[in-house]
Amino acid sequence: MSTATPIARPTTPPARFRDLLAAEWIKLWSLRSTRWLLGVGALALIGFAAYSSVNTYLDWPTYTPREQAAYHPVSEVLTGATAALLVIGAGSVGALTVVGEYATGLIRTTLTAVPARHRVVAAKVAVVAAVMLTLGAVVTAASFGASQAILSGRQIGVSLTDPGVLRVLAADALLAPVAALVGMGLGALLRHTAAAVVAVCGVLVVVPSFLKPTVHQWANDLYATLPLYVWRNCLSQTHPRDSPALPTVTGSWVVFALWPLVAALLTLIVVTRRDV
Amino acid sequence: MCASVVGVIRVSGLSKRYGDVLAVHDLTFTVPPGRVTGFLGPNGAGKSTTLRMILGLNRPSSGTATINGRPFAHLRAGLRHVGALLDANDVHGGRSAAAHLSALARGNGLPRRRVHEVLAEVRLAGVAGRRLGGFSLGMRQRLGIATALLGDPPVLLFDEPVNGLDPEGVRWVRDLFRRLAAEGRAVLVSSHLMSEVEHTADRLVVIGRGELIAEESVAEFAARGSRAGVSVRTPAAAELAALLTRAGAAVTAEGVDALTVTGLSAPRVGELAHTHGIVLHGLATRTASLEQAFMELTADRADHRAGERR
Repeated sequence: MSTATPIARPTTPPARFRDLLAAEWIKLWSLRSTRWLLGVGALALIGFAAYSSVNTYLDWPTYTPREQAAYHPVSEVLTGATAALLVIGAGSVGALTVVGEYATGLIRTTLTAVPARHRVVAAKVAVVAAVMLTLGAVVTAASFGASQAILSGRQIGVSLTDPGVLRVLAADALLAPVAALVGMGLGALLRHTAAAVVAVCGVLVVVPSFLKPTVHQWANDLYATLPLYVWRNCLSQTHPRDSPALPTVTGSWVVFALWPLVAALLTLIVVTRRDV
Repeated sequence: MCASVVGVIRVSGLSKRYGDVLAVHDLTFTVPPGRVTGFLGPNGAGKSTTLRMILGLNRPSSGTATINGRPFAHLRAGLRHVGALLDANDVHGGRSAAAHLSALARGNGLPRRRVHEVLAEVRLAGVAGRRLGGFSLGMRQRLGIATALLGDPPVLLFDEPVNGLDPEGVRWVRDLFRRLAAEGRAVLVSSHLMSEVEHTADRLVVIGRGELIAEESVAEFAARGSRAGVSVRTPAAAELAALLTRAGAAVTAEGVDALTVTGLSAPRVGELAHTHGIVLHGLATRTASLEQAFMELTADRADHRAGERR
């Protein structure tokens, strides 16, 4: 012990939560796959909205008065198909932020560096939610702007202050973070890339796509717990029909809040409890 | 010296059960500061499981492992307390070396210059921007060592660190471990090969089938080998043999004028011979190779012996 000399301790300030947020941001953004998926995905969604608006612009004279009355321009921002793409993309990126750690073994390096696992999970959830909300907001705003610019030539544009428009746009923007956090939860549970992506597609997109309002109220109530189902049948419409067979606006917001919340809790529990 | 910066690992009654398999059983040992402690055992002895429990990655079935008296699992900035290289492949192949280390440094509130410092220290500065997927095992080992050094920690753990390193790299890493210990840090280096730690370690913790076999200095461990002892050459072999036996030693005749003595040190043998006027032609301490002592001690506890068929 006589040969041992004291180690010069760096006078670094203690690690703060915002350092962890920065670390997760570096991890997310330093992957080429994330940048490409998010960049190309956002451009594709905006492109689809513009393309669909151009089609409406061209076909508008052939619409019957009834079709014209039923049409609402805000529906160009996200259609059923592009919403499904958005959910799959965002859900997969969310899943990969966790699966990417487990499948590569990086999780052991991560948790050795920051043993307080709940802080790692909290930072990851916060960064993924913030990035996806930004992405959703940008895609929604840009798609809405492009669509409005195109449709204004037919005098069928809408204003943000028209009833229901802001709510629809908010729901469109929130679809990405909701899907991403659910994807994270599924990723933490399954810890396998392919399984997590299949689960994201199945739970968030495929199953809700097959469901239609039925005469059985219990089935309608069950369906009304699925995010994409309530988006399609309620939140994406400026004037949702008032029917017990369909989800309510309030009920739909609750679904949009509970799914990511439960998924984040699930991620927290699974990551803190399991050996790695 | 300032006691507060010195690191010590204490493992106490540590056990880990996987279903029916007891991977680690009631393990107790200490890794003191200022020393390189070799952590030895055959493949499957439970070394990695033990290291993971020390780091809070695996939850022990019973027992505790502490770093400076605290469980590691609740620390916010682990890199500042313990630097660890468990598996060099525990990285994401899509990130560059610099991005990988930057995220880890930032999460621990460490300045960005530390990333460049450790990359230079492990001689990877030239490939800092290259993606890890293209790194060789040796380069990944260096990156893992860089990761361990990032937070300038008082305790360091390395699991099979020389795998994939070239001879020059092996020498470099041994010098590094010696230097880290000389700076007062506690250094634990695991291996399944005695030859990898015998030139680096001051102390050994040897396990087999998850149980402690030995915790002692390298010299003490070497003395356990059956070929260890004192060689004596004397024209009065029979007379000296009787004398040494009376003094409590075990004596084997090696031909007409040579004896192998165990249980007495060479100086003591020389003194006894001198006192009784016996002429010695040769007197030498013979240490068994550490490798041999290790093989003998772990032979009956090795789970994966070479040549064994199920």
